[in-house]
Formats: sequence, structure tokens, C-alpha cells
Amino acid sequence: MPHGTFNPAPRKSSGDWTSQAGDFANSRYSELSDINEKNVDQLKVAWTFSDGALYGHEGAPLVQGDTMYVVSPFPNRSYALDLTKPGAPIKWMYSPNPSPMAIGKACCDAVLRGWAIGDGKLVYSLLDAHVVAVDLKTGKEVWRTEMADVSKGVTMTSSAFIADGKVFVGNSGGELGVSGWAAALDLATGKELWRAYSVGDDEHTLIGDRYKPFYPHLKGEDLGLKTWPKGMAQHGAGAVWGFFSYDPETNLIFYGTSNPGPRVPVQRPGDNLFSSAVFARDADTGEAVWAYQFTPHDQWDYDGVNEMMLLDLPINGKMRKTIVHFDRNTYAYVLDRETGEVLKADNFAYQNWSTGFDYETGRPIVDPAMEPKPEKTLDRICPPDIGQKDWEPPAYSPQTGLVYLGAFNICMKLTNHKVSYIAGTPYDGMEMERFSVDGPDGDWGQFIAWDPIEGHAAWRIPEKFMVMSGALATAGHLVFYGTSDGWFRAVDARNGKVLWQQKLSSGIIGQPMTYRGPDGVQYIAIASGVGGAAGVQAGRDGYPPRGSTLYVFSLNGKQVEGTHSSAAHPEGEAPQQGAPGSRG
Amino acid sequence: MMRTAGIIAVAIASAAFGAATTGWAVHTGRGTGLSPAVLSNTGYDGPAAVPLGDLAGGAVPRGPIEMKNPLGSGPGVIAEGKKMFNAMNCSGCHGYTGGGGMGPPLNDGYWRYGGAPAQVYKSIFEGRPQGMPAWGVALPPEEIWQLTAFVESLGGSVKPGQAYDSRLGDDHEGSTSKAGSPILEGQ
Ligand code: HEC
Repeated sequence: MPHGTFNPAPRKSSGDWTSQAGDFANSRYSELSDINEKNVDQLKVAWTFSDGALYGHEGAPLVQGDTMYVVSPFPNRSYALDLTKPGAPIKWMYSPNPSPMAIGKACCDAVLRGWAIGDGKLVYSLLDAHVVAVDLKTGKEVWRTEMADVSKGVTMTSSAFIADGKVFVGNSGGELGVSGWAAALDLATGKELWRAYSVGDDEHTLIGDRYKPFYPHLKGEDLGLKTWPKGMAQHGAGAVWGFFSYDPETNLIFYGTSNPGPRVPVQRPGDNLFSSAVFARDADTGEAVWAYQFTPHDQWDYDGVNEMMLLDLPINGKMRKTIVHFDRNTYAYVLDRETGEVLKADNFAYQNWSTGFDYETGRPIVDPAMEPKPEKTLDRICPPDIGQKDWEPPAYSPQTGLVYLGAFNICMKLTNHKVSYIAGTPYDGMEMERFSVDGPDGDWGQFIAWDPIEGHAAWRIPEKFMVMSGALATAGHLVFYGTSDGWFRAVDARNGKVLWQQKLSSGIIGQPMTYRGPDGVQYIAIASGVGGAAGVQAGRDGYPPRGSTLYVFSLNGKQVEGTHSSAAHPEGEAPQQGAPGSRG
Repeated sequence: MMRTAGIIAVAIASAAFGAATTGWAVHTGRGTGLSPAVLSNTGYDGPAAVPLGDLAGGAVPRGPIEMKNPLGSGPGVIAEGKKMFNAMNCSGCHGYTGGGGMGPPLNDGYWRYGGAPAQVYKSIFEGRPQGMPAWGVALPPEEIWQLTAFVESLGGSVKPGQAYDSRLGDDHEGSTSKAGSPILEGQ
């Protein structure tokens, strides 16, 4: 049985890591193999860096050439770290000073899920709904674009994504009744090129002649308006807070949309298009080419924002260009990325809201007993709002053909309360308690190796705490991930055997990455700083305090040698040429 | 001019279906465009006169800071305040039981801006810079006092006479849970 493949573009050098996923396809796979299954037990901390910001650390550091770029959660300060010197000292720091108001408008902690590098610039979104570009060399702001009014509840927490001279960004605020959108900005100037709303008439959703969805129920005029009760679409959310991916062959970008607003379903009968869905859009114009809704009339806040991995897979004996997507609703989807047809939909973890999948209509079958009604408590719906897997991105290894994902094992008790729209406040109404699928002492997390062709798990590692970190797969037969209670683990990609682990100071909800430094050494980096949705475990024993430390590991802790401090030389004495330690 | 405050209040009131929306009539102050809610609190005697910081020169703030909730703290007032707390979406940010979420917990005795009734009133009335909306223009004083009574009932109340001591950290066991650690209530 052949494995799947993927396009590693735009990766040129295997040593750099210039976007959150390492490539357009969202693979999070690295060709580096100096660190491998035979020597990974010698992994040790080479150096650390703290940005001092105590909100959840969800992004991966980026490396280009001899510099690492890190952006803190709110107040979104960026740092360039000099990889040619021991300890990677700060080259520059840039402080964008976003509005503090944004802190209280962010539903789920003042986080940032990543940043991007392109055309000599570091580009990222600010929590207060601006996008900035910073010069990689000088740390000076090149442009800043206001995208929305934060006082209306619009924040921006997702990672900017760069492809083809454009920056793709989206908004957050699905819990505050915002209008969800994705937008493209010109990388050179920050000028907005197009903006596509998720909900609304065809003019706003950029649905026109090129729009050809696979399923009949997604065809028709102004569906983003007509699948809502009158007057409800304008606060219908469909925010865009996950990752983008890009297929250079077809010039399409792909991304998911959030839950509909309000979260209380009886207030918005209908399918509520295009919330909890995926769009394929032309990268140049934003025109929709197809769409598919994962959870029609989403009643549990499942969203559809989780990443689209662009893999080419043999499905039923035929090579297909696919999207592999692990939805919060607990279905692992394989879609045809040219048409939006569902090729496979399998449960990757425990759920009880759906009794099966109807391949004819492309819709999940809902168990009516799990449909919430206002002021009626449902004792056990699985998964809860945040799904059995949230935004944390998986990795794909072409060596094993498996997808590796951090996941959960949880349910919720839910009581809905009707809500009214008040700008800048939650349009929410879900009162919840989350707990393990397996009862009071049960595990809340798991790490899964998933066979996307067969549609089942190859192996699983049960975890006491939610696995909310991204995954990294390397050609060294390794997969890295972290747990929200702070374990950073390296496992054998083939069988899930834990080969190395270390407990870090805070919990891990970041994304591991790897790079080859200017010294030729392979490093692995991960942020430790718990927060975000992992905070639902705050009441559990063993849930760690917040932190703000980036850890960088290498074999035996090797790092660049030498000293970079002239103060090491006694005053009045001229530094001697060629003396030991003067190299840096 | 005259209508500004009224329009805001009506907009919110009409949105708050299913909730107690009696007592919504907000009149505008003559010629100012501001509601009595605003006017009564920009005067020297109202809670707006309570300083947010310590007093320059080291004096001990007395007076309005120690005022009691004029509506008291009886079950009827608290019940009304609870309805408001849900109708105004306070619960969406602070949690249905005040345990915190997007906004800090209101039940733990640790206050950024003070936990005595006048201080809580002020926080609700004026808003706070890190994303706490100001409700003084939209809600009449009576409803803000009801909300205050409910907030005080959540477990972290500070007695009016202890407003000053508690600001020095001297009267409550305290907790650090507000030091940038929202417990997630929703996502
Ligand atoms: C959009 C989210 C949001 C809404 C809605 C909201 N709050 Fe807040 N609230 C906050 C945040 C964030 C803070 C902290 C602000 C700061 O420190 O600058 C806060 C602070 C407060 C404080 C001061 C707490 C302290 O430690 O001193 C009180 C009291 C309060 N809110 C009550 C309310 C009430 C009552 C309502 C409804 C009428 C409400 N809030 C609605 C987010 C919200």
C-alpha cells in the first residue's frame, strides 16, 4: 500500500522554518534527521528565552538564516534572537502597543497562534485587530493595517499566512457575535486586497460564477443569508481563527470558519451557512470556488476552524488530491480538495452527538437527544464545545503515512440560556462543565497516530491532561508533542514508544519546530506557557501555573560556542586577538 | 442631542428579550444629552467621586468610598441583579457564578479596583481599560446597584467600611488568581 505524499513548497532549505507549519500544505514535517530515534535520548536544553508575557503561548518560533523570530502573546512584542551567539541574545525587540481593551474581548485568553516571514518582513496580527509588518533586519515597523474595531468584540489571534506576495489573515470573536471574515493584504504595503465574509449575501461572501460546491444543499443564491432567520445573519460569526493552507498548483487557499452566533441554536433555526465550514477560495480575488459545512446548524460550538492538511492520498485505489481535516466535532474528514466532496468521515475519538455519517447528502446524522434546549440541562455531550481536538495542528510523516495529532477525551454538561446581542459582549449563552469521557479519574487527553487512508488510529498514547500542542514529525523517525501539564515528549513515529521526555516549567500549548542553526546543528524548539482553552482544566490537580519560556534543545545541549560579551575582558586591558572565548 | 442616551438604552433593551426589561426608561438630563445616571455620578457626591488610586499626599480616602448599597443586599435585590447579570451578558465574561473567564473572577476577594459596594459600582459604571465595558450610559443607577448587590453576593464582598484597608491588601486572605489567569468559561 503506497503512502500519501504532499507538496513541500515553498520550503527551499531544510534548515529554515519560515512559517508555522513549515510549508503551504500544513504538514509540519521536517527532513532533518541528525536527531533521530537512536540518539534522541541525549536531547538536552541548549538555551531558553523568556518573553515575560503570561498568556498562553501558542505559536512556533520561526528561523531564517542566522536569526530566530518570536512573538509574545499580548502585548504582542516581537523579538529577533541572534543564533550565531551563545544563548541567542536579543538583536532587536519591537513593541506594537496594542490596545489593552483587547484583553477582555478575547474569548479564550490573549493568545497569538503564530506569525509569518516573507519578503524581508515579519508579519503578524495584533490582539486588537490590526496587522503589522516589521523589518527583519532592523525591527522597525514597515506597515500597520487596521482590520476592525476591537470595541465591537473583534480580536485577532490566528497566525498570519504568507503565500504569493500576499498575507492572509482572519478574525476571532465567534463568541461575541462578530461578522467572520478572511482577508488578503498586499505583503509589500499592507493594503487590503479582498475580504470575504463567512456569513451574509453572495456579495459579502464573494460567491459568484466560480462557486461550484459538491453538494446540492450548498448551491443557491445568498445561502449565507437565507439559511438564517431574518436579522440574525449580521451577528452570525463564522470567524476565521485557524490556520490557512495554500495549493500553488490551483492557486487556492483553504481555511475553516467558526461556530455560528449566538451559540444558542434555538435562536437561529437553519443551517447557518457558512459557519462551521471550509472555504476554498482563489488566492488572488478571494472568490469562493467551493465550500463544505462540517456541522450544519452547529449546536455545540464545534466550529470548523481546525487546519486543512493538503495531502495526496490513495483512496479506494485511486490517487486523490485531498484535504485531511480533524474537526472539533470528532470526525476525521478526507475531502477532495478540488471539489469539496467528502471521501471519508471517521470518528477519531469518542463522540455521542452524531449516530453516523450520510455520504449521500454529505451531512452528519444528529442524535436528537443531544440537541440543547434553553434552560434544560444535558448531562453528558461528547465532545464539549472545544471538541476532541481543538486548533492544535497535527503533523504528517511521509515515512509512515500517518498523521499525528494532539487530542482530548472529554465531554460536557450543558445548559443553554437565551442571549441578546450587545456589541462588545459575549453572544454566547452556553453554561458548561467539562469532564473526562471516563469519569472523575479519567484521562482528559490523548495523542493519536491516524492512518488517513484506512480511517483508523494506528496507535494512541493516553494522556492525563489535554494535548493542546501542535505536533512535529521529522525524518529522524520522530514525532514531538507537549502536554498541557508540561511534558515535552519525543516518540517513535512508527509505534508511539516514548523515547525521550522532559517536564518543562509550564504547560505546553505551543507548536514544536526544528531548524538547523548557522553552526550546522539541528535544534528543536517549543514554547512552554499554558493558557488558552487548556484553561478548562484549571481546577484539576497538577494543572501548571502560567509561564513564558521558549526552550531550545539539541543533542547533549550543544550550542554555539564563544562569548559575545566584551565585558568579559578586565577593564583597561585590550582584548587579545585569538584568545579563547573571543570568537563570538 | 437630547436622544443619545435614550437611543442606546432602547437598543439594549430591545435586544434583551426574555430578560427582565422593566424599569428601562432612561430620561435624558435637560440640555446635556446625558442621562441622570451620568449626571448624578459626575457630581461630587456620587460614586464617581471615589478615587480609583490612592490619594496624593497620603490622606486616607473617606466618605463616598464607604457608602453602603442604597438598595441593601436583600434577596429581592440580589435576584434582580442576577437577572441583569445574565441579561447584560456579564455572565459571558465573568462566568455564570462569577468564577471568571474573559473577565476576572468576581467571587474571590481579590479585586483590581476594589470590592466595596461603591468601588464595584464604579467599575460597572465607568468600565475598566482591559475590556470591561462602561455601563453608566446604558443603565440607570438603580440597576447598577442591583448588579452591585449581586456581585457582592458572589463570595468576595468587601464591607463598605473596609474599602480602604482592603485596597492595601490588609483584610482578605486574597488570591492571585486575577494576576492574568482567566479560567476559561467558554471558547
Ligand atoms: C466583554 C467582557 C466583559 C463584560 C461583558 C463585562 N465585564 Fe466586567 N470586566 C471585564 C474585564 C476584562 C475586567 C477587568 C478590566 C481591567 O482590569 O481593566 C472586568 C472588570 C470588572 C469588575 C472589576 C473587578 C475588579 O477586580 O476590580 C467588575 C465589578 C465587573 N467587571 C463587573 C461586571 C458586570 C456587573 C458586568 C455586566 C453589567 C460586566 N462586568 C460585564 C470583562 C467584562
